[in-house]
Amino acid sequence: MKQVLEGSHAVAEAVRRCRVQVMSAYPITPQTHIVEALSDYCADGSMDARFLCVESEHSAMAAVIGAASTGVRTFTASSSHGLALMHELLHWASAARLPIVMAEVNRALGPGWNIWTDQTDSLAQRDTGWIQLYCEDGQEVFDTTVQAFRLAEAVNLPVMVVMDAFFLSHTFEPVEVPAQETVDRFLPPFKPRIQIDCGDPCAIGQLAPPNVYMEMRRSIQAGMEAVPDRFAALEDDFETLFGRRYGGVEAVACDDAEVILVVSGTVTGTARQVVADLRREGRRAGLLKLKMFRPFPSAEVRRILGPAPKIAVVDRNFSFGAGGIFAQEVRAALYSLPRRPTVFGYVAGLGGARHYPRYHPNDI
Amino acid sequence: MKPIPESFPEISLFIARSHSTTAVNQTGSWRFARPIYNEKTAPCSAVCPAGTDIGRVGMLAAGGRLKEAAALILEENPLPAVCGRVCFHPCEAVCNRARMDESMAVHGLERFLGDLALSQGVEAPPTEQRADGRRVAIAGAGPSGLAAAYFLSRLGFSCDIFESAPEPGGVLRWGIPAYRLPAEVLAGEIARITRLGCRIHCDTSVTSSLLSEIRRSHDALFVGCGHGKSIGIGIPGESMITDGLAFLADLRRRPAAAVQGRVAVIGGGNTGVDVARSLRRLGARPILVYRRRRQDMPAFPPEVAMALEEGVRLMELAAPVRVERADPGYRLTLQTMRVFETDDRNRARVCPDTAPEREMMVDGIFSAIGAEAAEPWQQPPRSGAGVLKYSHLQGDTRDFVTLYGGDLTNSVRSVPDAVASGKQAAMVFDTLLEEGAGAVSGRLEASRVGPGPSLSMEIYRGGPRKDRSPRVVGWDDLNPAHFLPAPAGLPGRLDLNHRLSSFSEIETTFSETTAVEEARRCFNCGLCNQCDNCRLFCPEMAVAVDRTRQIDLTYCKGCGICVVECPSSAMDLVEEQR
Repeated sequence: MKQVLEGSHAVAEAVRRCRVQVMSAYPITPQTHIVEALSDYCADGSMDARFLCVESEHSAMAAVIGAASTGVRTFTASSSHGLALMHELLHWASAARLPIVMAEVNRALGPGWNIWTDQTDSLAQRDTGWIQLYCEDGQEVFDTTVQAFRLAEAVNLPVMVVMDAFFLSHTFEPVEVPAQETVDRFLPPFKPRIQIDCGDPCAIGQLAPPNVYMEMRRSIQAGMEAVPDRFAALEDDFETLFGRRYGGVEAVACDDAEVILVVSGTVTGTARQVVADLRREGRRAGLLKLKMFRPFPSAEVRRILGPAPKIAVVDRNFSFGAGGIFAQEVRAALYSLPRRPTVFGYVAGLGGARHYPRYHPNDI
Repeated sequence: MKPIPESFPEISLFIARSHSTTAVNQTGSWRFARPIYNEKTAPCSAVCPAGTDIGRVGMLAAGGRLKEAAALILEENPLPAVCGRVCFHPCEAVCNRARMDESMAVHGLERFLGDLALSQGVEAPPTEQRADGRRVAIAGAGPSGLAAAYFLSRLGFSCDIFESAPEPGGVLRWGIPAYRLPAEVLAGEIARITRLGCRIHCDTSVTSSLLSEIRRSHDALFVGCGHGKSIGIGIPGESMITDGLAFLADLRRRPAAAVQGRVAVIGGGNTGVDVARSLRRLGARPILVYRRRRQDMPAFPPEVAMALEEGVRLMELAAPVRVERADPGYRLTLQTMRVFETDDRNRARVCPDTAPEREMMVDGIFSAIGAEAAEPWQQPPRSGAGVLKYSHLQGDTRDFVTLYGGDLTNSVRSVPDAVASGKQAAMVFDTLLEEGAGAVSGRLEASRVGPGPSLSMEIYRGGPRKDRSPRVVGWDDLNPAHFLPAPAGLPGRLDLNHRLSSFSEIETTFSETTAVEEARRCFNCGLCNQCDNCRLFCPEMAVAVDRTRQIDLTYCKGCGICVVECPSSAMDLVEEQR
């Protein structure tokens, strides 16, 4: 059934339908609406879950790590400075192979104090071993949250569902909310491979000598490498049940394109319009939407972008001294090609600044 | 839907996990300090003259164990319904909760439990003592005499109380107006005391012949006659001044006639305030005339505040000089006083000011400037061989064991201090007759609540309270993170119009809901209230709960987390002795 939902509430609704058992979070704008709704669901009994109030994001992540270690389905949400405060424990969650799902609302880091959207917060966590999935609209937020639990539990790695502040978190859109039974068919109860058992006490996450530590890291990478196939497979099921699929990347009019715009997040909607306008004018423009950032879908990026002469990557993030982060990743993916497209990197929209669908014909 | 293809190879999952149980790691071997359960003394109970175990009363009431809570008060105080109404509750002044929001309303909870004990027939906690023929005579059925009879009866003594008035209660019956203490509440608590077997002989003054008889028939005498005689004011025209204590007593004997016009009440103590408030209820416009300032008044500040609320006026720094008859009424001449210094408690010392005398035309004058022992034999002995002095007693063992208590000996003249006298007398008589004079100070010392001087009958009788450390728990000993702010419960109050038109009781007793909520505000300072934090926070699962709590020293590594997370400081970390 279609409901008009705020982006934040689309996440919360999905979490409720995923029958999450333990949640912990600390409020921060623009994430707060998510956990407010979830604590309401716990209070009114519509969710059979424990909501742990904590004093910081660091503790929120610690709490869900503890809960996930007991083999229950867990969720948290954060943003910006809150995510930065979790940093240490993000590494722990992935190396402990705990399938935690987090909604991460992209917000700029201060100073200047800024609550508007900017991807630098989540991209600064790219090396923590979390799967990252970026969303374009409210429906995708709902669907990705549901998919995230199945993906996380399939590969024993945590997943960050990433969404833009305000443009997505605080915008109301019609969202198809599937029936509980259908979600249950897609997402069966969690069968943990790691589970603390009081009857068989053991230590987990304890000392690992160098050789063991190296193997653990290789195992995480193996999990990451399995993600594209696993994601594709679960999307097959998802499409069967719900009639939608997203892919790790989405290519629009790329087959014969002379120039391909590479975007992520809500700016994708603007880019779709620009590409449609250019096509109407007879210009051969295409669009690549990056949904999956970790693991980076290098093979698909190479396959789609490789034939085009020019690539324009629009980054709403900044790695100072290097430029836009998506542009770097795209360049690295294309490097192994014998004939590489020219990649132009554009940093735009930081701290919530707008992207306007204007272009100069000579830029193409 | 086609079945989910699970043809994928199993995902690599290589994590650090031990394959033996962690039980092999006996973390207790790391320990250089160990946690111990060590219950301590709550500040409220240490300052309660009656030694009431307030922290545990709060704990029992918070758990809904209301009759047990009432019985626990009765272990230490025979008059909870009275004290819940008239005690000046020093416990609340030292309540650690005040550092978070407001003190716990101990008096409100005590009053509720006192009333509950009356309405539900909660009796004095039984003792193992059996009547054994030891007999004590008690002069005066006021609070100290009643308390002495209560505790002595419970220790197996046979008691006779001799009371000159027609009914027992002393100052509670004749000195405190009904709007503060209804007669039936007092009667109920006295009945519970007499059910222990002691006899109250009313209309029986202790004459010299009765004294001689007591010396023959009893083993000891407790003198708790109180201050029955008002101190004279000593100014010309004194005969035209009505004695405040006698006025209050008359009010309790028979319905009073209306009093019109402006009346002066001389004095700044509780009796003066009660006289003025009673006169207000009878229709007069009373003015309290006090030689010092409001902040120097010995009356309890809330009583002064309510008196002013009710329309009693206060004239500070004015001392009566003479009274003359005028027509109509009287001319009261007053000397204006000034503060010439303040003592170390910031109480004013005053002397006549240079300003001329003032005159005040009034329709009546009452005085309540203090009282003293009514007869010479009631005076405690000053000093000498065989004279005993304790915190709430003085005694004389020269020819017949006689102990003096209550207002006759106490520096703070209050009901709970009178209860303290009665309790101390019971302990002294009991020890004196059982173990001899040499044992008395040791037994009293061992029965102290915290640093004293309050005494606990439970400790004296060897109850579990004796195991607590005398250390008084302060705010810094607590972990306030485990307490949520909550406002103190408020009793209902009669509105002003109703207050002024009757002698009905002003405040109502807490409802059960309010009382339990109030009890939940209690931090239970120094006491284990089974919150289970020590077990829940222990990283080694080394806290075992099987009726009592124990630390499993095989695994306790001495981290001290349990001690820190104990909200009420019922645990300590001590150095490991190896």
